[in-house]
Amino acid sequence: MLIKVPSIANLGLETIKVDVEVNVASRGLPGFDIVGLADKAVAESKDRVRTAILSSEIDFPQKKITVNMAPADIPKEGSMYDLPIAVGILSNVINFTIPEKSLFLGELSLDGSLRHTKGAFLMALFAKEFGFENLFVPKDSANEAACIKGLKVFPIESLVQICEHMTGQKDIKPVVYRKSEEYFYSKAEFDMKEVLGQEQAKRAMEIAAAGGHNIIMVGSPGSGKTMLARALPGILPPLNEVESLEVTKIFSASGDIPPGGSLITQRQFRSPHHTASLAGLVGGGSKPQPGEISLAHRGVLFLDEFNEFPRSIMEAMRQPLEDGYLTISRAKQRVIYPADFMLVASANPCPCGYAMHPKKACTCSQNQIAKYQKRISGPILDRIDLHIGVMPVDIEEFKGNQQASQFLEPSDKIRDRVASARKLQQARFADEGIHCNSQMKNSDIKKYCKLLPEVEQILRQASLKFNLSARSYMKVIKVARTISDLDNSKEIMANHMAEALQYKPRTYESA
Amino acid sequence: MVIHFGEIEVTDKKYPKVLKEAFKNLIDSQGPKKLYYKGDFSDEIFKNCLSVVGSRHLTTYGRKATEQIVSQVALAGVTIVSGFMYGGDEAAHSATVKCGGRTIAVMPCGINRIHPENQVKLYNEILEKKGLIISEYEGSAQPQNYTYVQRDRIVAGLSKAVLVTEAALNSGSLITASYAKKFGKKIFALPGQITSEVSKGTLKLIKEGAEPVTDAKDILDFYKIKPSDAVNVSNNFSKQVATKAIFGGKGLEQKIFEQLKREPMKVDDMARLFFIPIAELGTILTMMQLKGFINQEGDKYFIN
Repeated sequence: MLIKVPSIANLGLETIKVDVEVNVASRGLPGFDIVGLADKAVAESKDRVRTAILSSEIDFPQKKITVNMAPADIPKEGSMYDLPIAVGILSNVINFTIPEKSLFLGELSLDGSLRHTKGAFLMALFAKEFGFENLFVPKDSANEAACIKGLKVFPIESLVQICEHMTGQKDIKPVVYRKSEEYFYSKAEFDMKEVLGQEQAKRAMEIAAAGGHNIIMVGSPGSGKTMLARALPGILPPLNEVESLEVTKIFSASGDIPPGGSLITQRQFRSPHHTASLAGLVGGGSKPQPGEISLAHRGVLFLDEFNEFPRSIMEAMRQPLEDGYLTISRAKQRVIYPADFMLVASANPCPCGYAMHPKKACTCSQNQIAKYQKRISGPILDRIDLHIGVMPVDIEEFKGNQQASQFLEPSDKIRDRVASARKLQQARFADEGIHCNSQMKNSDIKKYCKLLPEVEQILRQASLKFNLSARSYMKVIKVARTISDLDNSKEIMANHMAEALQYKPRTYESA
Repeated sequence: MVIHFGEIEVTDKKYPKVLKEAFKNLIDSQGPKKLYYKGDFSDEIFKNCLSVVGSRHLTTYGRKATEQIVSQVALAGVTIVSGFMYGGDEAAHSATVKCGGRTIAVMPCGINRIHPENQVKLYNEILEKKGLIISEYEGSAQPQNYTYVQRDRIVAGLSKAVLVTEAALNSGSLITASYAKKFGKKIFALPGQITSEVSKGTLKLIKEGAEPVTDAKDILDFYKIKPSDAVNVSNNFSKQVATKAIFGGKGLEQKIFEQLKREPMKVDDMARLFFIPIAELGTILTMMQLKGFINQEGDKYFIN
């Protein structure tokens, strides 16, 4: 008898329907075969399914079982087909019908229970789009699927439970859809008020967070670059609903949603080490997986010791930095992963690190310094809007110094300013398909950043004095736009422009 | 422009007397037997020479002081001798060619090699301004560790006096100074902050009897040259006074200006000192920069 159990296959972020056809034939030698371009994990599912059924104290049919996954020309991967296969076999043994408009997904454990499986959220999105109503997923993945409204998500703990449900002995209660009303602020390791001194760097962080600008910090070891970066999530604006769905999709595809987890409601802060591989960082593999830059989508990608990253990785980030997505092409498939992140980079000024240090002497030769600074490619630097130097702070100065301590602003206060600046931007760019100032193209800059004559005069003067390139010129305007948004000002005023010029690209020499 | 090439034997009449004299009564070291040169090799260029050497890691203070003192000394007609290394040497050569003075670069490598390579522009400028490139090594020999030290003895030997701008303890600049001492030449040293790594060497020299230099006049007095009127106009100090007269900025700008006159400062420190929000301070600093009152180098602000 032939049973069709519908399931899905995820190719990157795209989902297609896969029919798991299970035929239990009375004739022929007993056996169990899986066909239909199945990878190793799917092939191994034979043993998991057989053992799981036996552990559930259900008879495994001593017949010729053939499983086909249609369409047969698309590669299937992963362990998610355990449940559909088992359900197909069980429907033969126990004799139940598969409810209509259902989708199945889940990995089996040998004891007959179900394990958290990646891709449940993508399946729910697919179900919503194509009119499926019932989703059968492992209990640990149920919350993830229940993020989408109008679906019946059945959390399954074991094979016995699904049999009881199908035969009507004991129904499984579907998980109730919970709209995530609250979009949470990201948690940070440090509060901005814990970072002593670094007033300008903190202000630059605020501007970067408000406009989604990429930022690079250059400074000696121990000057507080990493601490500043780790405090950054605390001042990021909250995710909105659309963004949250985008991020959850990527996390579901990569299997990074924890068991029991649901929507990703916080902006992500990813800080991969510089020994990360190209595929790990930008995504890839023979079956293309999202990399760190995609996991940082709508969030922050912090690259500490930026100069230490291999050139190939830096160059690979150029396209996503420009377009906000990355296309991974393989012989068998092409996958597009969104990667619209805010790059926060930190670097030492020279190999020994002390070129800018006020007290320690630098031991590097000029040649070494030049070589070291050249490791960051020009095109990447060109895509970074804010450049700041971070100098070590004398902590003694803050002990019992009231005035200095008054400068320390808590993160939530900064975050409120950032969030309202972001709101202004979202309203402004509602028709443009972008949502923050850093994404403005030159045409947008012309449209939304009309400069008053005296403001343009300042910029002209500055570009002559500081030798600004055409690209830097545009970047300064973008930053000035964000500063004026933080100031809740409709126009870019002279003081906004003047402040924006503080963060222009510069060279770093000994102090 | 025609650049003269040539070589001078120690027996040659044109061989700089001052160099020959330096090694006259020494047993443990010898002067170069042969000098290769590029440029204008005349007796006149060797008449009044001042060697200026400094750390490769010259600070902004060191560079400013070098510019201020060397340009006046060079304008008064003194030839500036140095080793063409980056940092202190380069600052001395640059300051000289900028004000149109003559300078001699003593190379640690073969005469046909420019080392360090990235200073090609300065190399050409030295020749354009009737300066001289000399070396005791022929062809395009690579510099070796010992040739730098050998070079230092020529730098010290060519001049009547040596000015050390900035030097760490155990640095090449102190080697030059020790040669100068051996040759019985006058040593000037630029005083710096005791906390600065590259002032430790110069302060040590001062302790040992070198003359501290606070003004170009200190050096010109030694050469018995009166600074010309033209020199006075180019005097940086008087320029500062002039700026102040025109400055007349508003309250805060004035306060910042007065502070920076005392000491170059970082923006964060200024924000705390004056208790101004960093956004406002950044605006003021940019405007002052655009007006040309102050300048930013590294992370600190300076008055022009």
